[in-house]
Amino acid sequence: MGLCLNRQLSPLSRRDMLKGSSIGFGSLALNAMLTTESSSVPLPPSLAKAKRIIFLFMHGGPSTLDLFDPKESLKKNNGKPLPYDKPRIASSKTGNLLASPWNFKQHGQSGAWVSELLPNISSIADDLCFLNSMHCSNSRHGGALLELHTGSDTFTRPSMGSWINYGLGSENNDLPGFITINPPSSHGGSGAWSSAFLPARYGGTMIRGNSKEMKIPFINNPLKDRSKQRKEIDLLNSLNHEHLAKHKFNTDLESRIESYELAFRMQMTAPEIQDISREPAHINKLYGADENPTAEFAKQCIMARRLSESGVRFVQVTHRYWDSHGNLRGEHEKLSKEMDKPVTGLITDLKQRGLLEDTLVLWGGEFGRTPVAQGDNGRDHNPHGFTMFIAGGGTRPGIQYGSTDDYGYHAEKNPIHFHDLHATILHLMGVNHTELTYRYAGRDFRLTDVHGKVIKDIIV
Amino acid sequence: MSLIGPSKEKSTPFWAFVSPSEPKIPNIQNTKWPINPIDNFILDKIKKAGHQHSERAEPHKLVRRAYLDLLGIPPTTKQLNSYLENKNPNAWSKLIEQLLASPLYGERWGRHWLDVARYSDSNGMDENIAHPEAYRYRNYVINAFNQDKPFNQFIIEQIAGDLLPAENSDKKREQTIAAGFLSIGPKMLACDDPDKMRRDIADEQIDTTGRAFMGMTFGCARCHDHKFDPISIEDYYGLAGIFMSTKTLIKYNVVAQLHHHDLSTKEEKERRNKISQIEKKISVKDIQEDTKKKLQDEVAILKKDSPPPYEVLAVTEYPTKDVRVHLRGDYQTLGDTVPRRLPPAIAGQIQHPMPNDQSGRLELARWIASEKNPLTARVIINRIWRWHFGRGIVPTPDNYGTLGEKPTHPELLDYLALEFIHSNWSIKAMHRLIMNSATYQQSSFTDESIKNADPDNELFARWKIRRLESEALRDSILFKANLIDLNMGKSMLTASKHKYANRDKLSEHIKSNKRTVYLPVMRSSGYDGQNAFDFPDPAMINGNRKSSTIAPQALYLMNSPLIHRCSNALAEIHKKATSNTPTSNRINWMILHLLSRPATKKEILRAENFIHTYSPGNGQATWAAFARTLFASNEFLYIE
Repeated sequence: MGLCLNRQLSPLSRRDMLKGSSIGFGSLALNAMLTTESSSVPLPPSLAKAKRIIFLFMHGGPSTLDLFDPKESLKKNNGKPLPYDKPRIASSKTGNLLASPWNFKQHGQSGAWVSELLPNISSIADDLCFLNSMHCSNSRHGGALLELHTGSDTFTRPSMGSWINYGLGSENNDLPGFITINPPSSHGGSGAWSSAFLPARYGGTMIRGNSKEMKIPFINNPLKDRSKQRKEIDLLNSLNHEHLAKHKFNTDLESRIESYELAFRMQMTAPEIQDISREPAHINKLYGADENPTAEFAKQCIMARRLSESGVRFVQVTHRYWDSHGNLRGEHEKLSKEMDKPVTGLITDLKQRGLLEDTLVLWGGEFGRTPVAQGDNGRDHNPHGFTMFIAGGGTRPGIQYGSTDDYGYHAEKNPIHFHDLHATILHLMGVNHTELTYRYAGRDFRLTDVHGKVIKDIIV
Repeated sequence: MSLIGPSKEKSTPFWAFVSPSEPKIPNIQNTKWPINPIDNFILDKIKKAGHQHSERAEPHKLVRRAYLDLLGIPPTTKQLNSYLENKNPNAWSKLIEQLLASPLYGERWGRHWLDVARYSDSNGMDENIAHPEAYRYRNYVINAFNQDKPFNQFIIEQIAGDLLPAENSDKKREQTIAAGFLSIGPKMLACDDPDKMRRDIADEQIDTTGRAFMGMTFGCARCHDHKFDPISIEDYYGLAGIFMSTKTLIKYNVVAQLHHHDLSTKEEKERRNKISQIEKKISVKDIQEDTKKKLQDEVAILKKDSPPPYEVLAVTEYPTKDVRVHLRGDYQTLGDTVPRRLPPAIAGQIQHPMPNDQSGRLELARWIASEKNPLTARVIINRIWRWHFGRGIVPTPDNYGTLGEKPTHPELLDYLALEFIHSNWSIKAMHRLIMNSATYQQSSFTDESIKNADPDNELFARWKIRRLESEALRDSILFKANLIDLNMGKSMLTASKHKYANRDKLSEHIKSNKRTVYLPVMRSSGYDGQNAFDFPDPAMINGNRKSSTIAPQALYLMNSPLIHRCSNALAEIHKKATSNTPTSNRINWMILHLLSRPATKKEILRAENFIHTYSPGNGQATWAAFARTLFASNEFLYIE
């Protein structure tokens, strides 16, 4: 079954050991059942550079040609035809080249190019590692989104959060190991956070709504009376223990008794952690939680930080909807404003707290957009070349890795496929992507399938 | 071009590809325990391992087990007592007959098959398009189980029902609905490459058909010869030709659309034609007012009582075509043409050629459903065994390939497979055989040595308790609160075909009191909490549901609207049934009602203490809390 590199025991061999033993089953069995193991089997520190990951997902496909990838040729040849063939497969009809309507400047020591749309991100350019040569295969949102999240645009596969949760477990007994905040309900839906054929406990917990009402499902006791519920659980415990005694030992029954205690504790812990009203004013200001149009996404970013620092292994936040086929100028300006300050605030906040060292932050969409125009103010989907950035967690800050061709259509130098991104993320978390496997339907599956290479040059 | 490519078979045949042979029933001496041959096979193995079988379970446990296992709902106190009071030696067999005759049976066992059929009321995946007509397939499955439709017939209808001759229009509808099996799978409906899309859909159909009926993972051979099983890339494209000659979609451009049959009656079709003709006349610009009025009246009369078109989501035929091997799975790198054919490693090298005027689905279906197929009967009887015992004789029910696990009791597997074929592929006959065995009736309370020696119950020397599935759990709670609506369900979707299903409606659907099998299944989204009880991802076939223990299940049982609504309703029933009786009596009623056994003295003392201190002065709230506690208890959640 699954093998986790650099661990003395994989979760399953450990469970097998417990299953085969005849002595009492206490917290150890429970740990195996309830996702938490990492604390007792730490990864060798030299290999695991990142302990947790925050993925800032830009749903819709931001036009990174207008954010991070200026092209002189595009500017010069605005309105002229693309000098080479367009890809055989495309989602919409496109016309001639469209220069970016925005100005670019180089920033920081590293001289990274960032457009005027993102003044805040520009200011932390030296903390970021730009991946300018991303590419994937699918030209539609659903396919590309699933490719980014699961490695496959064809089959239902576990999402990367589930794989990481499966490989590393949670750092906190009282919280799920994988939480996704406001994910898209379209374009893959729960496929983006599902455990697929991995055991259900490794799947993501989805929380939705506005930042105030975003709760783990059923976390609130409708009676709002903790002492009464305690009495119910006490009675339940005594009934269950009596029942368990008749069954001699049974790990299922025993774990279930513990699961109520865990749920009861979770009811206390989770709302506290999710309660962003406790954040001081200067933090709200840093993220832009105190003003519009940044407030809503800022609050979600603050919540992501709170969950992450409490030990949730994989936190995803989604910002939408970057699909500017028509009104590129208007939409990208608005979306950039909403996103720029909260993302900068998050990275700055993590850095100030010393968390950025072992927290990997990933920013990006399911694809980029074409250098050729759709209509006169839009761009079509482009899976062939686009930019993502990554920060912290052992990545090299202040570099720009890879590049697209002269017009920004195709990844050209050092192309990075999503499989390579996945392999690199797993590597940073101390896991060899070729060894994190799970047997299903007669095959050992991997997040990276039969692909993926670790991009060593972006690792410290 | 030869019909069959070069043979890649090795010398020793793999066990699963050799037809079952009549096994010798082991001779068991010095014990009266065996009731039927199943027990001989089981006990033989237990003895050889140096162990003992377990005693028969207590009668009240057995009744509860039978109800939960066959119907997915526990017995009422009255049903419990009627069995306990029946001193007839045939009482157990009679109970089984009675349960098999209940319409609730098909809802429970049909749902097992829907796991294998990766049933969903919407596409999910990239574009969550509604399948508003899929419910017909779901209900077909439920009815097939209730009617004990011979399983070989059930197979043929699901793969090629649209191609079968039908003596009347009802039969035509039923058989065509069955072929929805091939249409309801997950698809990427937004794909800018229609050629890829068509191949992906055929691939999903090949994979599902192979695994559902034969436990074979043909899908692995799409890009290269199967690494472990004797399926070559040519064999794959021999099958692919059959499915590429089958029409699943009517439109491949984004967003693609699924094919539906219009099986309205001739009169209905004529009536609709007439309506559209008249409507055309009305739409003419210079029409006179009184003519218009007359025609409108005519339309109104025609439209009155006119049912909506009887649409069926199912595949149909394309012009037939053999396909070329796609090297590394890439349709732009083509190899030799492979004639449509069955996998030679199982079907043999010598085969009739596939017809020129049909896809070959019917031939495929008949071959799968044939008693000569070494896999099919073994696969389904193992599924039935798995759904009864929580563990298959072949522990990997969806994989009989070399990477699947071998049967723990190969002779028993063959015995059951042959019995099944002899009983005319009757699933109910298998239930009778299995449930009447002493093996099935063993207790779960057994000594520690066997649990230590055989934690996974490979020997079947006891009843291994298992948690209720998501559906059985919800149905049992609703049933015990007397809120359940036991009428058969239709479609709850409001979206019409080719339109998006609305995921937000799930929070409405879950409020229904219908049995859970009738709640829409939306792929790529599900019911929070409810689905945490290991409802399988409907994008993949699953004949072996997992059973996890995770905190979200506990939260659901503590805090969900379902549990609070049902515990409050039960407190009302309880009040009517027991007010003005002593507390101990009232406690006993509740425990008997929910756990199918009388309360122990210790429990009564404990519960009395709880009742008196929980919420003094608020009887209803207290009894609701007591009911909630019992709903959440392991004894309620597990089949013992």
